[in-house]
Amino acid sequence: MATSLSPALERARAVLADFPVVDGHNDLPWALREQVAYDIDARDIAVDQSAHLHTDLARLRAGGVGAQFWSVYVRSDMAGDVAVSATLEQIDCVQQLIERYPDTLRRALTAADMETARAEGRIASLMGAEGGHSINNSLATLRALHALGVRYMTLTHNDNIAWADSATDDPGVGGLSPFGHEVVREMNRTGMLVDLSHVAATTMRAALDTSVAPVIFSHSSSRAVCDHPRNIPDDVLERLSANGGVAMATFVPKFVLQAAVDWTAAADDNLRAHGLHHLDTSPEAMKLHRAFEEAHPRPVATVSTVADHLDHMREVAGIDHVGIGGDYDGTAFLPEGLGDVSGYPNLIAELVDRGWSDADLAKLTWRNAVRVLGAAEDVARDEQSRRGPSNATLAQLDQQDQLDRLSD
Amino acid sequence: MAELQEELITAAETGELDELSSPTEEAPEPPADDALTRARALLTHHPVADGYCGLPATLRTLPWYDLELGETSVDTDIPRLRDGGVGALLWTLRLPGAAAPEHPVTAVLEQLDLARHVVAEYPEGLRLARSASEACDARAYGRVAVLMGPAPASAAGDSLATLRALYALGVRLLTLSGTSWAGEAGLTRFGEEVVREMNRLGVLADLTGASARTARRVLEITKAPVILTHSGAHALNGHPDNVPDDLLAEVGANTGVCLVPCSAEHTGPALGDVADHLDHVRRVAGARAVGLAGTYDTGAVHPEGLADVSRYPYLLAELIERGWTETELALLTWGNVQRVLQGTEFAARAAALRRPPSTARIEPLDA
Repeated sequence: MATSLSPALERARAVLADFPVVDGHNDLPWALREQVAYDIDARDIAVDQSAHLHTDLARLRAGGVGAQFWSVYVRSDMAGDVAVSATLEQIDCVQQLIERYPDTLRRALTAADMETARAEGRIASLMGAEGGHSINNSLATLRALHALGVRYMTLTHNDNIAWADSATDDPGVGGLSPFGHEVVREMNRTGMLVDLSHVAATTMRAALDTSVAPVIFSHSSSRAVCDHPRNIPDDVLERLSANGGVAMATFVPKFVLQAAVDWTAAADDNLRAHGLHHLDTSPEAMKLHRAFEEAHPRPVATVSTVADHLDHMREVAGIDHVGIGGDYDGTAFLPEGLGDVSGYPNLIAELVDRGWSDADLAKLTWRNAVRVLGAAEDVARDEQSRRGPSNATLAQLDQQDQLDRLSD
Repeated sequence: MAELQEELITAAETGELDELSSPTEEAPEPPADDALTRARALLTHHPVADGYCGLPATLRTLPWYDLELGETSVDTDIPRLRDGGVGALLWTLRLPGAAAPEHPVTAVLEQLDLARHVVAEYPEGLRLARSASEACDARAYGRVAVLMGPAPASAAGDSLATLRALYALGVRLLTLSGTSWAGEAGLTRFGEEVVREMNRLGVLADLTGASARTARRVLEITKAPVILTHSGAHALNGHPDNVPDDLLAEVGANTGVCLVPCSAEHTGPALGDVADHLDHVRRVAGARAVGLAGTYDTGAVHPEGLADVSRYPYLLAELIERGWTETELALLTWGNVQRVLQGTEFAARAAALRRPPSTARIEPLDA
């Protein structure tokens, strides 16, 4: 700890004391699954885990985190019951963490719960599912996830699914299929936030057309600042003020720093040139990767890189529509100054230096995200007074759609 | 639990308020039948906890239904539940038909979702219950308690965390058959861990349809009472769901309960056949180990005189004539199922103090 804080950092900490960070995406559950098969005793986050994880309780506190959407991600090559069951295991993991650390974590299902947690000085713990494969084309399964506490679902992960296109796959249904639109409507009705990180721009626009509730981007930055498909185009950011949603900027260098985007592309090409998949993490692949990294030093993003995104997103979407989604424990490399969950004050200090007011910062860190969840609850109540649960199926909606198109 | 029933507003009391004796009164009951009158009186205080009802899966196939005012396309609706003196239903989450669903986890989540919404649609008639005391509460408010389960073991997706998710969604019984860890060969090591986790959570082990080896091993290791959700006596009828006398005796010793199905296939074509099975189970396992399973809306063919859920008083009248005491009948209808639920919850509270949630996985255990 520095003996004397810079004035900006001091102000950042003061803001965070009142309006802590709501982070949109943290992959601690998946890290615990991969590292220790959910044996949470073996990765006790009440003690320092910096050797293994970006996240532990002390660093969350140091980072001024007041609410965390824990990702209940499962790999997008999982499908059917395998994906559903794995998602239930991820949810169970979050539940175990909340029960094990009751002094620090508090289960939160609503905006009101988040405010209660803040008042109690505990970290509101929410859940977000990452990819429509987690519901196995079943709206009842979507409702089951909601009943178990999941409050957002990213429509896709890295691969297309039957009813929605991913940003990092070839065009499929061209955004959302008819069933995909029905999923969005049912998410509105149940009070599950529609998360548009990871999806294709066509999917973003289609979802914004259909959703009557605010949407979120749980961990995506600006495509105008850094041209990567995981980021948000300006025309979509512009629609957030009408929609009421929030775009939570992510820190992942290979999405936010152009030099890192280019470097990652070259590194992936290097693996492919050796006949390996670009996401391979086998010892052989890692060795090749290290050799490449020695020859071509990895470009380093900084706090300023992320602040550039936030400045732009604020400019385009408006101050009421920006937030933070670090993607800790879901990515290997992070910007300087944001190396783990204790780093948020450095980002806030950078924004202080750039002239963000305390009120602006409070919106960025806390208020926008809480408002969006509350608004989704209001929409859900309203929708539920008008219609019952949908049990539409992919077969009904999408096959009929294909037949209609053929007959046209 | 009878004490909780005493303030219940019974149909008879409601009737007394109606001074205007209607000329279009329904056809009178058959000539004063003392046993039937006694059966109905008993049921107002000790309603039937029906251990096997297939309503959710059947409703899925109907384009429209009204359980509140009466639904002739099913065997279970609210007027007939009241008429039959039913106080609680266990809703099986199994899909109809012999074939196992391709996605058993998703299938059970869909069944649970449907069941929740059906219960929510009829707040005057039905109430979801997740424990013995919630079932009593529902009765105290004049509602029929609905408990979720049995679910097929495959619904747990070979995962203890998925089992915990099912519990969180209300599932209270799991039928231990049809998976790699609870098959003909009995429980595997993972299967034993499933039973221990069920004990820790408070999920009843349903042994109807379980292999003999699985049933024996469960009875050896379980810390909670077991249940047979729809099994008769194998000595009387060789249906594979029916259980032999030695197993019935063990269920009695375990303080579990065997619910005899009102199903012609399991018992026989007449009401008396069901009564024969009840007599037999009472004799072999004890009066504290016998209960009732309607098997209505499961596709079963029912014995004559037991066509739907309104017919329980006739079955009880038959038992009264066979000399069952009121105490035995009260245990049969409500008491035994209540005790088994309570025993399971008690065992769970004790186990939860000693054991954290199990993180065991099937691969290392059953490799």
